Amino acid sequence: MATTVLTPTATRARSGLYDWLTTTDHKKIGILYLGSSFIFFLVGGVLALAVRAELAQPGLQFMGEAAYNQFFTMHASVMLFLFVIPMLAGFGNYVVPLMIGAPDMAFPRINALSFWLLPLAGTIMMLGFVLGGSAAEGWTSYSPLANAKYSPGVGTDLWIVGLILIGTSSILGGINFLVTIFKMRAPGMTMFRLPILAWTVLVTSVLVILGTPVLTSALIMLFIDRNYGGSFFDPAGGGNAVLWQNVFWFYSHPAVYIMVLPAMGIVSEIIPVFSRKPLFGYKAFVFATATIGALGFSVWAHHMFTTGSVYLPFFSFMTFLIAVPTGVKMFNWIATMWKGSIQFSAAMLFALGFLTMFLIGGLNGAFSASVPVDFAIHDTYWIVAHIHYVLFGGSVFAIFGGLFYWFPKMFGVKLNETLGKIQFVVMFVGFNMTFFPMHELGLMGMPRRIADYSPMAGWNDLNLVATIGGFLIAASVLPFLWNVFISLRGGERVGDDPWEGNTLEWATTSPPPPYNFDRLPEIRSERPVFDQRHRLAGRATGH
Amino acid sequence: MTANADVLVPVVDRGESLEELVHAAEEHTRGGISNPVLGMILFIASEVMFFAGLFAAYFNIRSNAPVWPPLGNVEFNLRGHVLLPAILTLMLVTSSVTCQIGIWAIRRGDRKGLMRAFVVTIVLGILFLSGQAYDYTTLGFGINDGPFGSTFYTLTGFHGAHVFAGVLMLGVVLYRGMAGQFSARHHDAVEAASLYWHFVDVVWICLFTLLYILG
Amino acid sequence: MCPLRPALPGAEDPERSRGLVMTRFSKGIPQGAVIVALGALAMLLVAACGTGVTVLQPPAPATEQGKATDWLYQVVFIVAAVIFFLVEALIVFAAVRYRRRKGDDTLPPQIHGNNVLEVIWTAIPVAIVAIVFFISWQTLNTVDAVSADPKLKVEVTGFQWQWQFTYPDQGVTIVGLPDKAPELVVPVGETVQVSLQSRDVIHGFYVPAFLFKRDVIPGKTNVFDFTPTEVGTFSGQCTQFCGLLHSQMRFSVVVKSQADFDAWVTQAKATPTPAPTPTPGPSASAGGGGGTGGQPAAVSLSAQNIAFDQAALSAPAGTAIQLTFVNNDNGIPHNVVIHRDSPTGEAVFTGDIITGVATKVYDVPALAAGTYAYVCAVHPNMTGTLTVK
Repeated sequence: MATTVLTPTATRARSGLYDWLTTTDHKKIGILYLGSSFIFFLVGGVLALAVRAELAQPGLQFMGEAAYNQFFTMHASVMLFLFVIPMLAGFGNYVVPLMIGAPDMAFPRINALSFWLLPLAGTIMMLGFVLGGSAAEGWTSYSPLANAKYSPGVGTDLWIVGLILIGTSSILGGINFLVTIFKMRAPGMTMFRLPILAWTVLVTSVLVILGTPVLTSALIMLFIDRNYGGSFFDPAGGGNAVLWQNVFWFYSHPAVYIMVLPAMGIVSEIIPVFSRKPLFGYKAFVFATATIGALGFSVWAHHMFTTGSVYLPFFSFMTFLIAVPTGVKMFNWIATMWKGSIQFSAAMLFALGFLTMFLIGGLNGAFSASVPVDFAIHDTYWIVAHIHYVLFGGSVFAIFGGLFYWFPKMFGVKLNETLGKIQFVVMFVGFNMTFFPMHELGLMGMPRRIADYSPMAGWNDLNLVATIGGFLIAASVLPFLWNVFISLRGGERVGDDPWEGNTLEWATTSPPPPYNFDRLPEIRSERPVFDQRHRLAGRATGH
Repeated sequence: MTANADVLVPVVDRGESLEELVHAAEEHTRGGISNPVLGMILFIASEVMFFAGLFAAYFNIRSNAPVWPPLGNVEFNLRGHVLLPAILTLMLVTSSVTCQIGIWAIRRGDRKGLMRAFVVTIVLGILFLSGQAYDYTTLGFGINDGPFGSTFYTLTGFHGAHVFAGVLMLGVVLYRGMAGQFSARHHDAVEAASLYWHFVDVVWICLFTLLYILG
Repeated sequence: MCPLRPALPGAEDPERSRGLVMTRFSKGIPQGAVIVALGALAMLLVAACGTGVTVLQPPAPATEQGKATDWLYQVVFIVAAVIFFLVEALIVFAAVRYRRRKGDDTLPPQIHGNNVLEVIWTAIPVAIVAIVFFISWQTLNTVDAVSADPKLKVEVTGFQWQWQFTYPDQGVTIVGLPDKAPELVVPVGETVQVSLQSRDVIHGFYVPAFLFKRDVIPGKTNVFDFTPTEVGTFSGQCTQFCGLLHSQMRFSVVVKSQADFDAWVTQAKATPTPAPTPTPGPSASAGGGGGTGGQPAAVSLSAQNIAFDQAALSAPAGTAIQLTFVNNDNGIPHNVVIHRDSPTGEAVFTGDIITGVATKVYDVPALAAGTYAYVCAVHPNMTGTLTVK
């Protein structure tokens, strides 16, 4: 046994702020991730409100096309790259080392670097607003529109630089997660006793490591095209316009799974706890997660069916196939609730909201897998509805569920349940009011990314409904902010394990001490804390 | 430190580095490959995908071009320009060998051998970079000369940047080695740096073959 | 197949369209999930076919290809709706039926899985997916078929932010203008072959009533066929975000009877559209009062890469201005419009649109001292300031 002597040295007194700025503790970094991502959520939300306000009626009421194009571009960029992805990374950071009984991430200092790159990148991206206009080509930044000829101005360059930094942060984070999960598990924590959230973070990290660098290469080529006279993407100079789409979507489709798989992991932690049952079909769930990850790399061209440049049947079939593992997961969640003892906490409500919204997001996605139907609905508001059902109805509902679920672990106090339920109801109604009408708008032919539409097109009423719904969503965030504020100031103190959790984070104090555990329960199943509570020798691997 | 199944390390806040703790946790929980080496392997996997993106762009543009190399600039035919790059290739391959000699040395606990081998490796790396920079000045086209120029300079330029990063990495390892930080048992950083160096070498062999031999 | 569908987009009552998601089950039903599911399914079918209420229906297809797509859509829609109601019923049933009652602290049975069940709910989606894929593929072959001998060929060119329709065999060219979206006129019942080209960035040619779109990509020609089945006007729009005025890039497809179409061709030939052919002669430009005498002041301006080469110009007051305008953008139309004060001010001079590469001399009438803005009417992002003193 190697004995590296741990000499206890006196903990130096540090100012709180200095401590937060220099910390390498995965829990503090996790909270920093969550906090900064939430700020970006509010920024992206304000941009979304501006977009929705402009679309409420035909005609340009509040802004011109130039501002509108910047707003919707930055709304998507901020929400995807600075909110959803880092938010889920924040959960992974806080929870995964705890869940697997590790004292910290494998590379704590790299972990801190991964986080601090994000505010820097976000600032660089947003700098465009004060330097003559941000990027305005949509978050997909299709070339040659994004080339300097058609999009001059420094905003797009700042967007590229910001995105490369975010990508670097993701890659370093992904490596850190993988090494942590592979190498830092507590004794007894075999791979098939890993909590599902850890599995989803593992698969996500593989997607990040293999996908993100391809986006980086695409962004670098775009930067060279824009600034050094390169000829990658503009056919006028011998490049290929569709090339950008191929390289971009090679990352950005897996990116959707990067944004959804950990959300599925969060839901898979919440539902068993509040149903008081183990996750139904643990191994099937793990294989389904891995399958989604693997298929994620073979479906990128379903974003390009209308380009006339891809082999349609192959990508159509692979896209349809994704429905199978997704369906397996859906049935596993339902079977977990079946015959359970379901407690409707705020966290569970958000998880149930996730199931319903993600079900719609999966089904309306299947329409796009059918190529001729995609010809009809591609690039219309149907697609806007689809992506929001997956990423808002799916990921964001899961994120709020996760916040309600792990808040007591992070701060030792519960969030107010009543405020949480109010938030859920308002958000659920507002969400469906905003995004369900978009299916109809898409079918009627309203293209996405338009600042204005003809009053004769027949889209007026549904757009107004969607805008009202959008402001309802915004209103639903207010009780949450208030909830966090009052809870941190004097919320209900709860014990270490207020929900009767299953996984190891509930075996330590709330909040956990530095390096997490003084002692660990015996790990004989994927629910060590449940086993300890019920003094059961849990079965080794489910089934 | 005991390693009972139900008792993990009693943990103490030392306020500073976690490395000992991580080492301790790792050595009594998971055998096999060390954290830094696994981390480097994963990082190299991501780098492979980065270059895959650039190579994919190259092949895509090349297959779409009516003739390759494109007409209009006689310098585009790099097969007539292979001598210096071939010498550079030889240097880089040699540096991979000397790098590996250094690894074998430190595995035996031979610090002097590690130092010697890594000095040679770093010198070869710097020579490669200087040679490539000189080679750029002799080429009759720039990055803005159509798809050929763009792809050529992007591929070789980013490879060059990786060689530069590798030289820095080897330099840090050399510095730490001179400070006596490595032993036959503890030299993860050396292994990780050498993996990266070999990767950079392999990328160059692919590039050299593609750009200069196959043209 | 349910034959009901909405009328054209404009006629649809959107208030009726939001019914689907609001469907909920009363708490009194939980006799069994299957009953709930069947009840919901029945409600859906009643809603869809019984009362004429239409939910999530595409516009009535106006081409043969669109009809095939519409049929496929209905299949996918029914499958999706059935799955949605079954699964949603299971979720709601499980949540309601197995809710924790007050004071109940018993531990439910700890079921870890069931291999038979899991195989079944893997196999069934595989089967559904395979069938839907197969049907989609078959339909794709219909929709994507390109005739070797189409009745009419049209070359559609997209550029920021307009469309140009060229009929090579008829020798007719139509270009849209900011205040007049172009019309693609075609005969009913005949196969029309469209080849799509872009002069700048990627656009999308989309006609909702055809249930079809195809990207318009620079450096690549995309070809598709459509066969209109009814006479009428169908609006279309660019769907691929293409920059500042993407939302204004509209057009319409006008389907006429063969006789009307032939008459239209004859008429179109007789009145060539002004845009692509610069009108000769310097005096054709609009403009009122003349100069106060003396030689007109000579000013030159050129456009390249969708931008003016000069951001500011100056000219003497009270003298007619001879503005030499060079359009260096190959194939792209530009002009110069002079507005009082700012680009939104009153237009005091509007030059003819010329398609590059071309040069045109505008005779701008004398202007009073002050600040003016010059703008390209096709590309409102092209602006500059004209100082007259």
